[in-house]
Amino acid sequence: MDITINKQDEKTLVTLNGRIDTSSANQFQQDIAPLMEGDRPDIDIDCSGMTYTSSQGLRIFLMLQKSVIARKGNLVMRNMNPMVKEVFDITGFSNIITIL
Amino acid sequence: MHCEMILDEYRKRMPLYERLNVFVINKLRTCLDENHILVAGLESRIKTENSLVGKLELKGYKYNSIDDITDIVGFRIITFYSNEVDIISALVEQMFDIDWENSVDKRKMLEIDRFGYMSLHYICRIPETMYKDPTMPELNQMRFELQMRSSLQHVWANMYHDMGYKSDVEVPLEYQRDMNRLAGMLELADEQFGRIRKEITDYRRKVQALVASGNFDEVTLDGDTFRSYLELKPFMRLAKKIAAINQAELYEDSLMPYYKILLRLNMKTIGDIVRLRNDCEEAAYQLALLQLAGTGLDIVAYSVALQNICIVYILKKGFGVAGLTQLFTALYGASNYNAQHAHRIFEQAQRINLI
Repeated sequence: MDITINKQDEKTLVTLNGRIDTSSANQFQQDIAPLMEGDRPDIDIDCSGMTYTSSQGLRIFLMLQKSVIARKGNLVMRNMNPMVKEVFDITGFSNIITIL
Repeated sequence: MHCEMILDEYRKRMPLYERLNVFVINKLRTCLDENHILVAGLESRIKTENSLVGKLELKGYKYNSIDDITDIVGFRIITFYSNEVDIISALVEQMFDIDWENSVDKRKMLEIDRFGYMSLHYICRIPETMYKDPTMPELNQMRFELQMRSSLQHVWANMYHDMGYKSDVEVPLEYQRDMNRLAGMLELADEQFGRIRKEITDYRRKVQALVASGNFDEVTLDGDTFRSYLELKPFMRLAKKIAAINQAELYEDSLMPYYKILLRLNMKTIGDIVRLRNDCEEAAYQLALLQLAGTGLDIVAYSVALQNICIVYILKKGFGVAGLTQLFTALYGASNYNAQHAHRIFEQAQRINLI
């Protein structure tokens, strides 16, 4: 899983590429640590390159979403491929995280 | 000359004022928190030297010593509703020693044909039973002012102050009538807000009792009744059954976003939702079983239960792919993906003979 994080004005643009699974989840959690800091974050995650997420990935996104809400911020995931979106749908996670 | 002495004493006492300020503001904040009272504002200030000089120039003759000036340290609690002023003042009376001779309830000072600035001003001391610092024994002797007023009374006072007046007698006669009309309107609005809030609180209590009694057909579906119903965790049995498919962790998210969906599905009472659940529960589980079994996904949201119930209901009603697309659009916002998702669910439903 490759992740890039760029600050653009007040927005934090994140790009994800690859799979989040057992072998990559720990590294992914460390990589997104900068997103867990700061007040009123406005985070936009481009998921077009994300090919799969396991439950570990869902837990990390849930943790990020809770952290963003606690800091009165906003989190959006976009351009998810249909296979990945289905994981969010069938687990009910599409009800928790804004996916555009 | 005696004004100079007062100013010297003021400077000497500044550390005491600062200590008093911090102590009282913390006490007030804790008291409001403990009593679950949300206020619009909690302010404090120590009178500046310039402001004190101004006061002494105007009214210096009234003060023999600095102890006669009771508002050097001042606090203000701004409530949302006017009736909360009485609740808070009762708490303040329990906390601090009140100097009743110098406290003023301006709300009671107005004559029946007059409106205007109304708030409650208490002059207080910290009782030794509450706090005693041997290094600052004067702290318990020092008086401070505590003002309590509603948000609208605060607006009134600020407007008045902004126009450069401190009391309604200063307002030019030609504007007095307009000011009185405004004051009357704010007082009426204050009362109405308080009344409406009380009625809503009573309604919510009634609704909770009705929901708890299980007379669901008598409970009209609205935001309050749905929230009360959700407290009974009505979809937990299904959610746990779905979670058990993969021995998954269940994350309890809010079902409130489904309120507007249930209205769209023409649910009129909580009883309608109970029937919806009972009629669709098994098929909703079968759909989850088809989707989740073998995926290894071991975390699911509580909302997946109601999500699947709505899906099944829409399909049973014959609304098909278009109905599902509308559901997903209402839930997740407009997206090209909603139609694809609807098609996929429709195919899955056909495979398990839901349609």
